[in-house]
Amino acid sequence: MSGPSKLARMDWPLLFIAILLCGIGLVNVYSGTRVHGGAASALFAKQFLWIALGLGVFFATYYLSDGFIEEATPGYAILILVLLVIVLAVGQIRGGAQRWISLGGFNLQPSEFAKIGVVLMLARYYSSKYQYGGIGLADTLPAIGMVLVPFLLVALQPDLGTAGVLLFILAGMSVIACVKGWLLGLFAFLGSAAIPALWYFMKDYQRQRVITFLDPERDPLGAGYHVIQSKIAVGSGGILGKGYLQGTQGALRFLPEKHTDFAFAVFSEEWGFLGSALLLLLFALLVRRLFHLAIRSQDRFASFACGGVAVYFLTHTVINLAMVCGLFPVVGIPLPFVSYGGSSMLTNMLALGMVANLSRSRFTFQGGGTRGQELSS
Amino acid sequence: MIQRIRRREQDPDIARRARVLLYVAVGAFFLLLSRLYWLQVVSYDTYQALSENNRLRMRTVRAPRGPIFDRKGRPIAETQGSFDLVCSPIDVADPAGEIRFLSEIVEFDADPVEILEKVREAMVSNPFTSITVARDLRFEQVSVIEFNREGLPGFSVMVEAKRSYPYGTAFAHALGYVGEASPEELDARSDGRLAMGDLVGKYGLERLMDNVLRGINGGRKVEVDAAGRDQRMVEEVPSTTGMPLYTTLDLDLQNAAKDALGSQAGAVIALVPKTGEVLAFYSAPAFDPNVFARGIRKADWQALNADPRKPMQNKGLQGTYAPGSTVKPFLALAALEERIIDKSASLHCPGSYRLGNRTFRCWKEKGHGSVDMYRALVQSCDVYFYTLGLRLGPEPVAAVEKGAGMGTLTGIDLPGERKGLVPDKEWKRRVSKERWYDYESLLLGIGQGAIHLTPLEMTVGYATLATGGEVMRPHVVAKVVLPDGSTTEKKPELVRKLAWKPENVEFIRKGLAGVVNDYGTGGRAKLPGIVVGGKTGTAQVAQVKGKMIKSEDLPYEIRDHAWFAGFAPVEDPRIAVVAMVEHGGHGGSAAAPIVKAVMQEFFRTQEAGPPAAEKR
Repeated sequence: MSGPSKLARMDWPLLFIAILLCGIGLVNVYSGTRVHGGAASALFAKQFLWIALGLGVFFATYYLSDGFIEEATPGYAILILVLLVIVLAVGQIRGGAQRWISLGGFNLQPSEFAKIGVVLMLARYYSSKYQYGGIGLADTLPAIGMVLVPFLLVALQPDLGTAGVLLFILAGMSVIACVKGWLLGLFAFLGSAAIPALWYFMKDYQRQRVITFLDPERDPLGAGYHVIQSKIAVGSGGILGKGYLQGTQGALRFLPEKHTDFAFAVFSEEWGFLGSALLLLLFALLVRRLFHLAIRSQDRFASFACGGVAVYFLTHTVINLAMVCGLFPVVGIPLPFVSYGGSSMLTNMLALGMVANLSRSRFTFQGGGTRGQELSS
Repeated sequence: MIQRIRRREQDPDIARRARVLLYVAVGAFFLLLSRLYWLQVVSYDTYQALSENNRLRMRTVRAPRGPIFDRKGRPIAETQGSFDLVCSPIDVADPAGEIRFLSEIVEFDADPVEILEKVREAMVSNPFTSITVARDLRFEQVSVIEFNREGLPGFSVMVEAKRSYPYGTAFAHALGYVGEASPEELDARSDGRLAMGDLVGKYGLERLMDNVLRGINGGRKVEVDAAGRDQRMVEEVPSTTGMPLYTTLDLDLQNAAKDALGSQAGAVIALVPKTGEVLAFYSAPAFDPNVFARGIRKADWQALNADPRKPMQNKGLQGTYAPGSTVKPFLALAALEERIIDKSASLHCPGSYRLGNRTFRCWKEKGHGSVDMYRALVQSCDVYFYTLGLRLGPEPVAAVEKGAGMGTLTGIDLPGERKGLVPDKEWKRRVSKERWYDYESLLLGIGQGAIHLTPLEMTVGYATLATGGEVMRPHVVAKVVLPDGSTTEKKPELVRKLAWKPENVEFIRKGLAGVVNDYGTGGRAKLPGIVVGGKTGTAQVAQVKGKMIKSEDLPYEIRDHAWFAGFAPVEDPRIAVVAMVEHGGHGGSAAAPIVKAVMQEFFRTQEAGPPAAEKR
């Protein structure tokens, strides 16, 4: 084996952006969770640990041998499905939803990892069905069925935010995998038509959130409270922000879930428009990099998987930020790397590690002598 | 594996599709950036203001109400600290749960269901103004609430100023009570000094002098967290205590009046004839104003209002009653002034008087025999005064009685005064379009028929007899101490001076002294060493046909009202007292002892002390 070492073929920009985001998130978790006027909370230390663990996952994934990810995909998918069933059976109920499996001191949220499972399954499936001129209806339906199973399991928890992300991944990857344009249009139409049916499956509090999103002033102290307080936090940040640890909205505990789903509200209150724009730019760069790797990947599985991960980060970032800014109903979707949370951190790192691993293959033909070339010769 | 490894150049459509998504992403990020620009740059001022409101709370520091003193400087209404349970609507998380929990610890001012409603309403309409939901908590209750602080984000215990009346029912009708300002009151008083939840005078002096007694609220601007916990104080404006109010009332006399009336219903009023200073003003049954200061419960309020003896009515100035024989001195005076009859002229009383085909009885069945004016007053001979009434007719009688302040508003500085009625021909024409009948003149003589007076009017009338024709406006307020230490005092106010002949007044006084001291009907008002003058009155409530029945044998509601009106000492009156006992029976037995008790207390405590009495 010759050619550059695995470390030399690392996608440094990707890792750099991720670490930067983690750092910002950590600093922000400190501000959001510190006891008023006091010291750092236990969550800050835990988040630090999650980042370290996450980097471990990243490198472990990165160092997986070529082709392993694709081969392990069905196994990973089955494992996730089992976990999703288990969580429905024995999961901890928190806030009316059953999302966590308790593992010792840690609570694992299988629905987070399900997103990666869907990305991998679709990448594997679509890359086998790819044909010039586009994938037709017969080959698209199995892909939909493949996503529908985890979608239903996640929706039953209920975790409509994550379930929604699964659909976005399906849609995004279908675009990249060149499902025929008219099919995409048809499904987009059917999807919108299904919204009333979705309404039927929603829990009362979820319906309330949607109603409240449409008219937040309707219930300013109930479901509308989050949105109003979040907008106040963001808006009162101004151009330069109130300064780090100076956010009154966050520090005075007006913001609910300010370290998780509403972490960005804390951040933008303290760092203002300049800080928010900078953070936005980082996310845009991350997403751009992921699409770039998807475009440049030498193999379709890698291309689709990178594209899926790109859609995953895009969806999370945009929905979370839109929610915090009052552009989208409140759904439980964390902001990657910035929101506090272990499952989310590990999932994100796993996803990036995967992308880094898969994108290594673009060096295959440049360096020569790697596994790909050996196989093709 | 081999088949799947392909050069990128072979799949340009994948790259194209991925780029489409990248453009979508760029668009989405641009949208978010514009939204952030809108929120943080364009709308900054709005959200900045909202954020300030969010963390800053104005905590009202309610001003303590000014104390009220009696004429000797003894407090009869005070303001004390009380541990109150206060709700901050914006901070309430679970109204039903928190109130259910609290209802097991404290007794709310109202039904918990009402409290819940009020809190829910306030959460929407007035989330930043706190409301008091329970008052006067005990230490154990405060401890339990503080211990459970975490689960009760919307509620806190605050030390609030509470009105307290150390003598309870004694001053209820004179001082009145305070209660939380109603929405109407909040609207009506636009001076900006009245905040929601403030206590305002609802009745009595508390109401009349509310502007003096109520202080100016202060405020604390505090930074709070989302749980409503105060984090630090930003600014404080201290409150200004209300001004103290000195009254002309005398605690000793008030208590004496209360004790003497006992469980009976009625009114006792004492005043200084020459100044109009009210020394005692008691109406019974009374209520406990302390109950109102704690926020009266609906059921208690309804019970008070449903009570047939009307504890919420100030019988002294709102109840009107037939005056009975207490008007006889005024008829005698009118007769003397009009020279209708010579005071020494005797009339024969056979026990009844016949007018047309009707017979009018004297209270003494066997008759008084031959009586002159003095005897007629002392013995309260009805036949004599039937004759006077008939001879005088309504106009001269009304002139004297109205002149003395009866049948008109006295203008006392207490709210809610009603006026009685002194009838005359003009009045008759106006209300019934009928002519005046002789029997009506006859009834005037014994204070029956259309005439009805308030006990206050009666007191002013007798005080006028005591001064010999100077009608003074009765008043309860003595002085107000202003914040700069200066005082404004209420000067005695002469309403009018009547041109009664002094010798006529002198004769009437002598007759009144005889009522008490010369084997008359008012013997039970007699005091050792001091010549008391006065007149009994027994006012019929219902006409009882047939044989005369003793008042005590009648059902309570139709028993006669008992009056006694008098002053002392007769030679130089320093106090005038009226007692009216609802359904008390005979004035001589039921009312005279009450007047005696009050006068005795007055002379025992060496008359009225400062501040106002010395200014005569």
